Amino acid sequence: MLQVRDLDKRFGLHYALSKISLDIHSGEIHALVGENGAGKSTLIKILTGIYQPNGGKVFWNNQETVIREPKTARKIGIQVVHQDRQLIASFSGYENLFLGISYPKQKLGLGIRWGAMKKEADQLKSKLGIQLDLRKLAEHMSPSEKTMLEIMRAAMLDCQLLILDEPTAALSDEESELLFELINKLVAKGTAILYVSHRMNEILRLSDRVTVMRNGKIAGTFSTKEMSKDTLVQLMTNQTSSIKKQMQKTSFSNKENVLQLKQVTSKDQKVKNVSLDVKQGEIVGIFGLAGSGRTELLETIYGTRHLKTGQMEIQGKIVSSFSPKHSLARGVILIPEDRRGDGLIVDMSIRENMTLSTLSEFSSIYNIKNQKEKTAVRTWMERLQVKATSSEQPIKELSGGNQQKVVFAKALLSKPILYLCDEPTQAVDVMTREEIHQLLKDQVSHDSGVLFVSSDVQEVLDISDRIYVIHEGEIVAEFENEAVTAEQILQVCYNQRKQSDV
Amino acid sequence: MNRNLATTYSSSLLRLFRVYGTLFAGVLIILCFSILRPDSFATLDNVINISRQISFLVMIALGATLVMAVGEFDLSIGAMASLGGVMAAKLAVSGQPMWLCILLPLAISLVIGYINGWIVTKFKVLSFITTLGMGTILGGITFWLTDGATIFENIPESFRYLGQEMWFTIPILSFIMLFLTILFWYIMSYTPFGRRLYAIGGNEAASRNAGISVAINKNLAFALCAVLATLTGILMASRLGSAQPTSGDGLFLPAYAAAFLGMTSFKEGVPNIWGTFVGAAIIGILANGLTMLEVPPFLQDVVTGSIVIAAVILQKIGRDSS
Repeated sequence: MLQVRDLDKRFGLHYALSKISLDIHSGEIHALVGENGAGKSTLIKILTGIYQPNGGKVFWNNQETVIREPKTARKIGIQVVHQDRQLIASFSGYENLFLGISYPKQKLGLGIRWGAMKKEADQLKSKLGIQLDLRKLAEHMSPSEKTMLEIMRAAMLDCQLLILDEPTAALSDEESELLFELINKLVAKGTAILYVSHRMNEILRLSDRVTVMRNGKIAGTFSTKEMSKDTLVQLMTNQTSSIKKQMQKTSFSNKENVLQLKQVTSKDQKVKNVSLDVKQGEIVGIFGLAGSGRTELLETIYGTRHLKTGQMEIQGKIVSSFSPKHSLARGVILIPEDRRGDGLIVDMSIRENMTLSTLSEFSSIYNIKNQKEKTAVRTWMERLQVKATSSEQPIKELSGGNQQKVVFAKALLSKPILYLCDEPTQAVDVMTREEIHQLLKDQVSHDSGVLFVSSDVQEVLDISDRIYVIHEGEIVAEFENEAVTAEQILQVCYNQRKQSDV
Repeated sequence: MNRNLATTYSSSLLRLFRVYGTLFAGVLIILCFSILRPDSFATLDNVINISRQISFLVMIALGATLVMAVGEFDLSIGAMASLGGVMAAKLAVSGQPMWLCILLPLAISLVIGYINGWIVTKFKVLSFITTLGMGTILGGITFWLTDGATIFENIPESFRYLGQEMWFTIPILSFIMLFLTILFWYIMSYTPFGRRLYAIGGNEAASRNAGISVAINKNLAFALCAVLATLTGILMASRLGSAQPTSGDGLFLPAYAAAFLGMTSFKEGVPNIWGTFVGAAIIGILANGLTMLEVPPFLQDVVTGSIVIAAVILQKIGRDSS
């Protein structure tokens, strides 16, 4: 039904997808797996018309098709349920269902015929066997009800291919079961499903075939029956290439703690009972899947998320006041995951952004010392090789990698002792990624430490001295980075999933 | 190569127009009036006259600019100005010394403005709603203080000094306006405080992560805005020699018109002090010139409103095409 041939997608010089070929048959459940950044979402975005490919062809029912915009995709019968729900909170189930499609109108073509609308929706509901009160407002629905509603919405239109992106991410097991039933009903009607998930158990159980993606390429498409969880994980991480390079192993056991957490729990329970430590000169990696609480953990340490119980010590001193301002004063800095949203003021210049945390060093209360500020900014721009026309260039005109360098320069200006890095190499080019790694290794001196969060196992292995694995806000494993492999770490994560699935 | 040069040339011209377009428009308006009314508009007397006429608008709009810089609105500035004038006049009538008549209302407004900010930052109430409510409260208090009547009896002569006297044939009001504009331009451009206000307006989350006390700085912006509005009200009362309970209300919308016009010049899309000054000046010059052309007042409002909208549209178009 759907055939994709040699699809390419570039962002700048970086290939997000290269030579992707994929077939989906009608009535099959086709799973798509891969690590974060493997290119799954880029592929989905091309299939649903959000992105345009730079090369390759898409055939739909044996006809070459260009999916120009999301509307085109919906018209030809490709529907998608995104990971983040696309519902209008203040609308009822009925209203959400008819969003974007023509409402049944009254004879004069003016008012909406609510009666007919309800009837149509209720018919579909009973046909699919969904138990859901459509009078409820979307904001009052549970995650599972919202998922059902979105799938129903997809089924309102001609739906030949339904793409489900992590549909069970927010669901309990019972709710997932209901979803699987619904999926099977749709498949029985001939609908094809492209099922994207991190949960190996679901994929093995549900899908007919599975395609593994790795670094923007297809690692292979297999019949699910022939696969096991271990082989899938191996394919995703390409175990053969990740044979550990011999790292010079330093012992940190006799070093002082830079950071020590004792049973820290955040107010919103996103971080539960976490105890960990970072020693002087050490880079500690934290690996966890999306939604595991890794970002929340860093935010709790930095003071943007409220701490409920537990104790935090920085350089051996118990911390009692939590806010970004206090953290900066202690020498704790955060490289946030969302650099444009939480790290930078994009309309301001490089100079203004770089000195924002340390403005008092460059000014008295009534005056900013321009010369001193400019000199410092130029020095750091040179040292980190920020590519820009001048220090006065607005941040929004820089590339992602250069923006991230400004974030780092801002952090380094405050002479930190503890670096909290949340996906610091996300959406930066390979060169900058190497530079950032090198920078962290260089900066970790005799008295500072790094806490490094990444959803890329290989990156965590490349840079860390020690690794914690986090799952649902709790630390579930700790590894010295000596003999541990990507596979072992992933296995811990997926096994946790399994346990919590039971 | 040649073509490249041509495009850079035209794009830099476009940029120049985008940044100074509003200023050009202002000059154009002045030229038009000067040609149409050479012996009444383009005179030194009229320039001085205009500088006095726009002084109130500039002062109150400076405050609006500060609050807009942190990404908020203060809809209570009109009511605050009215109350300021009434408080000062009441104090003057009761025989208080001049300095107290000015400083006490300013101090009170500082607190009121800070409360505005506190409600916004502490309870995350939209500033629109907070200051709408506060404006209503202030209007009520003004009504209570005056019984709805203008205060004009027994106002001492000294009360009129700032509003009516001249220094070197230039109104004191014009000096005050210029001084405040320069002062706030300096604050916004050259002090850490100004930089922080702009940072907060640019991205609140990033500012907080950079260790800026977002709430305190926002509260201060609201407080300064209220103080400027009150000062405007006091000077208006001084100029008129009386205090009307609604004198400041009419300034509220033009103040934001000036600030929005200002956002189209100098610093694109960012509220800025000289932009606001130019915006207020254009609005003032239009009022002055159109009156000289004997355009009826209702039509003046239509023209002024249209020019504000046109300026913002032009700037958006310029931005999108670049």
